[in-house]
Amino acid sequence: MIEVDSLAAVRAGNRILDAVTLAVAEGTVTTLVGPSGGGKSTLLRCLNGLETFAAGQVMIAGHTLIAGDHPPRALERVRRDVGMVFQGFNLFPHLSAIDNVTLAPRIVRGMPPSEARSRGLELLDRVGLSRFADARPATLSGGQQQRVAIARSLAMEPRVMLFDEPTSALDPQMSAEVLDVIVELARGGQTMVVVTHDHGFARRAATQVVELVAGRVHRAGPPAEILAGVGG
Amino acid sequence: MTGGRQGGRCGWRWWWAVAACWLGLIAAAAAAAELDDIRARGELVWGADQEGGGPHVYIDPENPTRLVGFEVDLADMLAAELGVTARFQQGQWDRLPLLLGRAADCVINGIESTPERARDWRCSRPYFAYALQLVARRDSPLDSPEALAKEGPRGPWRVGVLTGSAAEIEMRRRTDFAVEVVGYDGTVDCLEQLRGRVLDAALMDDCIASFNADRFGELRGIGRPFAGGTYTILTAPDTPRLSAAIDEALGRLITDGRLKALYDRWDLAGRQQMLLLRDAAEVPPARRGSLADLIRGALPLLLRSAGMTILLSVASFPLAILIGLAVAVGRLHGPAWLRPFLAGYVEILRGTPLMLQLYALFFLLPKVGLALPALVAAILGLAMNYSAYESEIYRAGLKAVPAGQFEAALALGMTKWQSLRHVLVPQAVRIVMPPITSDFIALFKDTSVCSAITVIELTKRYSVLALSTGRIAELAIVTALLYLAMSWPLSLLSRWFERRLERRSERSQA
Repeated sequence: MIEVDSLAAVRAGNRILDAVTLAVAEGTVTTLVGPSGGGKSTLLRCLNGLETFAAGQVMIAGHTLIAGDHPPRALERVRRDVGMVFQGFNLFPHLSAIDNVTLAPRIVRGMPPSEARSRGLELLDRVGLSRFADARPATLSGGQQQRVAIARSLAMEPRVMLFDEPTSALDPQMSAEVLDVIVELARGGQTMVVVTHDHGFARRAATQVVELVAGRVHRAGPPAEILAGVGG
Repeated sequence: MTGGRQGGRCGWRWWWAVAACWLGLIAAAAAAAELDDIRARGELVWGADQEGGGPHVYIDPENPTRLVGFEVDLADMLAAELGVTARFQQGQWDRLPLLLGRAADCVINGIESTPERARDWRCSRPYFAYALQLVARRDSPLDSPEALAKEGPRGPWRVGVLTGSAAEIEMRRRTDFAVEVVGYDGTVDCLEQLRGRVLDAALMDDCIASFNADRFGELRGIGRPFAGGTYTILTAPDTPRLSAAIDEALGRLITDGRLKALYDRWDLAGRQQMLLLRDAAEVPPARRGSLADLIRGALPLLLRSAGMTILLSVASFPLAILIGLAVAVGRLHGPAWLRPFLAGYVEILRGTPLMLQLYALFFLLPKVGLALPALVAAILGLAMNYSAYESEIYRAGLKAVPAGQFEAALALGMTKWQSLRHVLVPQAVRIVMPPITSDFIALFKDTSVCSAITVIELTKRYSVLALSTGRIAELAIVTALLYLAMSWPLSLLSRWFERRLERRSERSQA
């Protein structure tokens, strides 16, 4: 489903990613771990074209991204198949939870509003928030906001979901709510790449763990192997 | 602590000194200069408007630093008679009397004798006789002033006049004419608009029409001059001796033939002038009506003009918002080649006065074949001027939306424009609502500038009414109350937006 080949990214003269090569099979969960500044988030953002890279290529959900700029149309096509959940939730504060979820299906895929709404309500139900459909993001807790953000991403029926430290901004209890939802998705066979510091989650849900250190793949393999003897 | 208190007392003393100075200045200014003051000063300051044009007072085309005109010569002769020299003071024509007692000792500028002026100011004996001349383009179907009684091919005849002049009074008095009267601050502006087919005709003093005959070759006089009167020199009400001295001096200039010689020199038919001046009777002063009558008469006019103020604001502001939003979005997210042009648009409109922009739209566009009606030019001018400010506000608003919002929208597969339309702009609009409402109040008051291009809104109406009735303070209060009645609800609206926004940000922080 994802193949990253010799990816290199440079920001302000610094090499952020260097010859990163990895593969993610369909229906598996890959967690990216490693110290801060190791290039985890940059790698994730290269996967859906939010950041450009200097060399190498990315094949994802049937699309190919190469080094340098891409025409906007090509990126829009990639992003329709690749969902992303951010550390800071980034919900649209002027829209209710249900409108956050239905906006992209309606305007990007031209789904009729009634259909978008009923599917949106189903998704909110899946993340346990159907009661809050009409609530504004500002009135929801952090954990609830992140779960709405996940539903918003799922609404586009992405073939791959990218999570960028989805629980770093949350306290342990709210983290657990969000992680439960992600684990549930993994069980349902959703292909996912998750940047996280939470080794507990990696052990519980990951098929593969990739450790990035100083922009390079330091180690990669099943969680038992990579995380053996590491706390957290 | 002690030092602080001393400092405070010192501060108070300073403020008292400033206040005393101001009071002194006001007291000194309140007393108009009488004949003795003028002689002691050695200078007679006379007010006129060089924009009013020839043959009265105008700038010498061959030497733009020199002021010429028959009234310039007359002022010199009068001052010499009083044993002093003359000094010119510029003022806007319809407000010249307001200079009296403050910036000028007398006003000499084709001021027609009217009962109202005789009531509010001291009027000298007549020094010039005029009649009103109707002017139109050579190809105009008008053949006499009486032809104005029947509507023209395009509806009522649009007739330009100098604001506050006898021509305006005459045109507004003639209810038998099917005319729409348009007021101008300068004769040349009015004639330019007549040439540019914005007006059908113009009415003005005959001497002005003859003076401009060469410059405006495509215009012609329609019928004989009619409804004449005389010019008078105005002085402040509390200067009886100055006024008497001016009358005596005029008398001497008339009897010894120097005034006739002056008019002959200016090709103003000196012999006929003398004949008319000899016969001209003094205009009796008008009676001042009661305040209640005044307000009853003025209020409907003021209300109608307040309607114009509202129309200008509500028509121009939404346009300003739309243009401003488009410019802001273009500058932040548009193609790179477009951005310098949009930046230039904003800088030009912010960096030049609104008055000048309105002038360009109204007086210059007809020269390239695009004659906009005054109302359209006014709305467009206000909208463009304010769009520059609005675009800066929107730009700040768009920048204040967190970058993550744009990324989240893009990550969902939205195009740049979809992200802007559905995610960024709606949030930016909420952020900038308070400054935008307060800008609306500013625009609302700026509509008064439109009087420069003949649109009569509330301030202009006030000024015309105040000057014709002499009730300057009373009408100012009524006008100010009308403005407040209109802007107060807007202030409330703006504060409501702010409170709502504060509540929301408190909630999102909680």
